[in-house]
This record gives sequence, structure tokens and C-alpha cells, in this order.
Amino acid sequence: MTGAQIAARAATQTTVIPRRSGSERAREGAFRVLMYGAVGLAFVALAGILADALADGLPVLSWDFLTRFPSRILPDRAGIESAIVGTIYLMVICAVLVVPLGVATAVYLEEYADRDRWWNRLVEINIQNLAAVPSVVYGILGLAFIVRGPLSLGNVLLAGGITLALLVLPVVIIVAREAIRAVPPSIREGALALGATQWQTIWKQVLPGSIAGIATGAILALSRAIGETAPLLVIGAAASPRFNPDGLDSQFTALPIQIFVWTQDPNRAFVERAAGAIIVLMAILLLMNSVAIWLRNRYEQKW
Amino acid sequence: MPERVTEKDPEAVRAPAGDLERKARADALERPATVTAPADAAEAIFAVEDVHVFYGAHRAVRDVRLDLYKHHITALIGPSGCGKSTFIRCLNRMNDLIPSARVEGSIVYHGQDLYARDIDPVQVRKRIGMVFQKPNPFPKSIYDNIAFGPKVVGMKGDMDEIVERALRRAALWDEVKDRLKTNAFGMSGGQQQRLCIARALATEPDVLLMDEPCSALDPISTGRIEDLMLELKRDYSIVIVTHNMQQAARVSDFTAFFTVELDPEARHRTGAVVEYAPTEKLFTNPADKRTEDYVTGKFG
Amino acid sequence: MPERARVHYQEELERLENQALGALDLVVAMLDKTLEAIEHQDIELATLVILDDDQVDGRYLEVHQGILSLLARQAPVASDLRVVAALLHVIKHAERMGDQCVNIAKLLPVTGSEPPVQEELRSRVARMGVLARAEVLQAQRAFATRDIVLAEDLVRQDEEVNALNRECFGLVVELGTDADVREWGLTMMLMARALERIGDNAVDIGEQVAFVVSGLFREFTDATHPPRSERELRRQL
Repeated sequence: MTGAQIAARAATQTTVIPRRSGSERAREGAFRVLMYGAVGLAFVALAGILADALADGLPVLSWDFLTRFPSRILPDRAGIESAIVGTIYLMVICAVLVVPLGVATAVYLEEYADRDRWWNRLVEINIQNLAAVPSVVYGILGLAFIVRGPLSLGNVLLAGGITLALLVLPVVIIVAREAIRAVPPSIREGALALGATQWQTIWKQVLPGSIAGIATGAILALSRAIGETAPLLVIGAAASPRFNPDGLDSQFTALPIQIFVWTQDPNRAFVERAAGAIIVLMAILLLMNSVAIWLRNRYEQKW
Repeated sequence: MPERVTEKDPEAVRAPAGDLERKARADALERPATVTAPADAAEAIFAVEDVHVFYGAHRAVRDVRLDLYKHHITALIGPSGCGKSTFIRCLNRMNDLIPSARVEGSIVYHGQDLYARDIDPVQVRKRIGMVFQKPNPFPKSIYDNIAFGPKVVGMKGDMDEIVERALRRAALWDEVKDRLKTNAFGMSGGQQQRLCIARALATEPDVLLMDEPCSALDPISTGRIEDLMLELKRDYSIVIVTHNMQQAARVSDFTAFFTVELDPEARHRTGAVVEYAPTEKLFTNPADKRTEDYVTGKFG
Repeated sequence: MPERARVHYQEELERLENQALGALDLVVAMLDKTLEAIEHQDIELATLVILDDDQVDGRYLEVHQGILSLLARQAPVASDLRVVAALLHVIKHAERMGDQCVNIAKLLPVTGSEPPVQEELRSRVARMGVLARAEVLQAQRAFATRDIVLAEDLVRQDEEVNALNRECFGLVVELGTDADVREWGLTMMLMARALERIGDNAVDIGEQVAFVVSGLFREFTDATHPPRSERELRRQL
């Protein structure tokens, strides 16, 4: 039959493969509108915040701004060097504490723990809960047990680092578990069948295979920690210190604290300075997330 | 060749099928396996006695009693769920990895009971290698895949030589010798499986266990691996679990047929050996009707 | 009980068996014609027998090809394999039996249109024919029903045929000096031998029955009958 004949026949007969009905297409269209609308709303909100910060903060940015210490009195001479340095130190301490601890916990839970034992189930439930606890509670925890109480470190850098580490530890554990779980059991079986011990299997096959996922997740967890204000406030981070922290037992500040302090100030110029600090903070966040995404794309293991 | 029997042997001509079935059932209750010893004096490398495997309270395999012979290929066949994979994993203590698994009975390898208290499962697995159904190379280079086993068990010697020897034994050397450092995931399925065989051979085992090694492969790759098995049996002893009866018929010297039974006490299914005989006999003149029904494909 | 599987394969195997056993029906038909031709000296009937052999030969080729096809495609094992191997023998024996009928039919014109007839010889040959016919049918039934007892019984029947054959031999030896009579006598002897061969082929089919059922190949012998070596001697007659 020629194409014309087929078409003619199709016009007069009921089709074998039914077309989509009008109401189905309408529903699909409505869903699309809703979907794009939701995404659009999120974008608009984000854009709004960004625009606001950029408008106020962009003029403030300068090398001086980044290398001066903050001031309580003169907005023109206020900078965020101590905040940036403090933030960086906090991140390092947090990372050094949280990554080994988080990964070790994840390895224990995934590779060694017997799910039938009640204490292991208790740990699992608690990790899920802890990841959702508001950050200010961690601040109170830090204040009670680290700054004062048993550890009595005082409101120093180390205390801040430990508190933030506790905050993001549940997230790192969860992320590390996901990465470890993504390694298929066949790899473990293969390694064990060759005569490897369980530890050798984990160290030489499971962890290397999950390292990309763990690194990505850890960076994302740290980027959350960077932005936490409440716990640092509660444990007593300094506001506008005119010095960089000189050791783990030094007083400190961080970008979120500095931003918080400046936005409270009645002087409009300080609020603009705060906007500048916000831009810096967001730039750091953007950098960290980009690194995480790049790591994931480059090293992700496709099984 | 069918046996020629003289007139002095009235037992040679057996009763018609109905009686055979009844006799086989009765036999099965007393003596779980119809076991035929090999014609030539082959040395046993595993002596399995009264082995039962439990997952928790559920008995997955019961009453396994057979010998596995050196430098021969033994096939384990049977329908799904009959316990053949469970059983083969007992031979290198891989069932230890399942917390609820429990093995009773004795499996004697080179005069030692594999499940004795002082036996290290890691050492067991060095000497008894395993290849799995779906090829599972590590996400590393071909070289590192092969070198992994020898390194973790602490084998001494030139690693390059060890790797080359293993790849040659698995008939893979010529194909990959120029790309040893490339990732193993870049190989085809059949090559990956041969890589897994080479990897298992690198630790110099004397037994190779293969759990449906060809089910994920195309017919050409399957054929090459079967040829490889026939070559390897000169130096190794091989036990293979297979769904494919023609494969069992092609490569194996001995075949054990497992079946699934409804356990009378508990209401679950248990696997048991029905018949274990030289492959030729099992496929030309099986003793048990259940075997006959299974291999002719009519039931099971 | 799990589902029956490989139904097509089983049906094909059954069809093949029926074709092979059907060849024995053709042989019986040929034998009937042959015996009638002998009784009435009907040369035209004898010609028909020779033509009928083409059918048996054709059936042989069909079954042979069917077996090759089944082996290649279905990989039969265990009892199926034994049946297939046995059918190769059965069809071969059927073809031989057909050839023996043709041999007899070809001898008929040699006896002349008015042959001298010695009643004792003629009647024995006729009786051999009847017994041979019965053996073929019994062999067929034994195979179809896998009945070993029936198969072993063929030995006893065949012994009767063998005894008659020996008697014919004795009679021919004593036939006298007339050349025509001797010629006729020897022709009858050849016919008797052909019928005895048909009987032996039927017994061989019986042996295949035992092989299919037991997996063991055994030549049928019985304590009351002569040992194999003597039987071999008689075969060479």
C-alpha cells in the first residue's frame, strides 16, 4: 500500500494505537505549569536575595575589606580578615575531626554491625534524629560540655571546631554510609573469596571505591557548617575581634558571626559591610560546592 | 558404551518404570544419595559427610554425602532453590559471611576438617578459589585486579611474573598483555569473567569453585570458558554449579543432581542430593526417576 | 508437581517412534503378500512385494533423518537417548526384514509355474512364515509397550522357527535325484532361511526393548537353549 492509501485507511478506521485523549493532555500541561512555576518561584526567591546582597555589598568589596580587621566604630575601616581566617581555621578543625570519625562510624555500621542487635539499631535511629536537631541545640551542648563543664576549654577555636564537628557528624555518617553502600556486595565477595580479611577488603576495595562519594558528601557537610551562626553565638564567639586567632586556645570569630553583628548595627554603613561579607561567604560556599561537584564528576565510580 | 551383561546377571534388566519410582523413593529416605564410585581410582580432594546447612532455623540443604575428585570437574545441577549454590559456598567457607548461616557435618579437605575450630577461613579461601555468576572485577587496572589476591595473602615473588602466569593460565595473556594498566571495566563480559578466573588462579589454589560462571555470558564466551575449564582440570580440581544441563554434560566428569523437597517437619523447602554419578551414566542411564525427569527436561 | 515441559519435543519423539514401529506394519503387509504369493504361485503378487520394499526403504530414510534432526536440535539424554538409539536399530531391522521379503519374492519365479511340491517341506515353510509374522507383530508390541517379558518370549518363538529351519534342511538333503525337484527344494530352503532371518531380526528388536528399559544391552539366551556359539553357527546357514 502507498503512504496515501495507508493514511486514507487510517482516517476511516479506528486506530490501532490510540492517541492521547484531550483530558490527558490537559492534565499533563497543568502539571508542567505547576512544576515550572515551583522551580521559577525558588529561582526568583534566590535571585531576590542575591540581588539584594549584591546591590548593597558589591561596592563595599575591596582588598582592604578583606585584609582589615573589623571595627565597632568606623565602618570605612572595617574589614573581615579575622572572620575569614577564623572561618578557615574552624573548617579545618571540623574536617580533621569529623571525617575520620564519620567514616569510621559508617564503616562500623555498614560492615561490622549486626543489625539484629538492639544497640546497633539504637545507634542507627539516633543518627537519623541527630541530623535533624536544630543547630542551636548543638551550641548549647558545646557551651555546657566543651566550653564549660567537663572539658572546660573556654570559648576558644577548638571548642568552636568541636561543636561544629558534632553538628555535621550525623550528616557525614549518613553520606559515608550511602557511599559505602553503593559499593556492590559482589566486590566484597570477590575480595573475600580471594583470601582477604574483612579489614583488607574494606581498606583496599570498599573505601577506595567509595572515596569519591565520601569526599563529595564531606565537602557538602562542611559547607553547611560554614554557614551556622547559632551554635557559634551560643558558645561565645567573639564579635568584631581585632586579631586573628593564634592557636587552638585563642578566641575567634567567623563570617556568620561577623555578618550577624553588623546587621544588628543601627549604622546603615555597617549593614552594607554585612552585605559584603555575605558575598564573600557565598563565594566560599560556591567554591566548595563546585569542588564537590567536580570531584564527584571526575571520580565517581559507576558500578 | 552400554555394559554387556552375561546371562548370569539377572539383576541387569530392571523392573519397569513404576517399580523404579517406588524403589527410588524408599532408597532416598534411607540413603539420601545414589552414589556411584568412579570407574578409575580417582583421588578424593573433598570428603563431604552428613552436611546440613541452616539459615537460622530453616534447613536449606540436608544430608549431603559425597566425594569430590582431584583433577576432575564435578557439576552440581538441579532446579532453583535446591541448595547447590549454598552447598558449593560451604566448600570455601563463604557461608561464614551470612550471619544466620550454620553448617553441620564435616567437609574434609586434604585430611583436615574445614570447619574445625582452629581453621582460618582466610587460609581456606587462598587454597580454594571461587568465581561468581556475574563477573565482578575490581574497579582497578587489570594488573591490580590480578595482583590483589597474592598481595593480601602475602605471596612472595615477582608480582609481574605472578600476574603473567595467572593471565596465561586463563588464556587471557595475549589479549591483554599490552594493556595491563587499563581499567578492567573496559573489557567485555567474557573477558571479565576470564579475568576473574585468572584472579582466582593467582593465589595458586588447587581447587576452583565456579558458581554458574557462564550464565551471564554469550555462547561464544561460554564456549571459551568451557574449553578453559577442560584445560585447567589438568592442574586443578573444579566444582561447577550450573543451570545448563548441556553444559554439565559437556564439561563435567561427575554430576550431582540436587532436588527441592518439602521438609516434612517444618513447612519449607529443603535441598537434597538425589543422585551422584559419573556424568555419562547420569545422562544415559540415571538410576533415579527424579533425575531422569529432570535431565530430560520433562519435570523440575 | 511442576508443569510438564518440552511438550513439542516429547511429541516429536513419539512421532518418530510411531514412524519406526509403523515400518513393521509395512513389513507385515509385505510378508502377508509374500506368503500368499508362495501359496498360490502368484508372480504378479511377488512383483508387488518387490515394489512395496521401496516404501520400507523410504520409511527408513525418514526415520533416520528424523533421528539426526532430533539429536542435533533437542539433545536427548537418559531414556530418551536410549529410545533414539534403539529406534535406529529398529528401523534397520525393519529394512532388513523388507529385504528378506524381497529375496523370497525374487525366488518365486525360479520355482517354475508348476513346481514339484513336497507337502512336508512346503507346509513347514508356510508355518515358518506364519510364525515369523507373529514374531514381527509381537516385537512391535513389546517395543511400543516396553514389555520385557513379551520381548524375551520372542526367543522361545524364534526357536520354533529355527527348529523348522533345521527340519527343512534335513528334508532337502533327502530330496532325491531329480534335478527339478532338487532345484525346487533348494529354492524352498533359501526361502526358509530368509524367513528364519526375519525371525532373528524380530528377536534383535526385542533386545532393543531391554536396552531401552534397563540401559543394558544383553543378548537373550536361556538355559534350555544352545549356547551362543552354536547359535552363531546356525546363523551362517
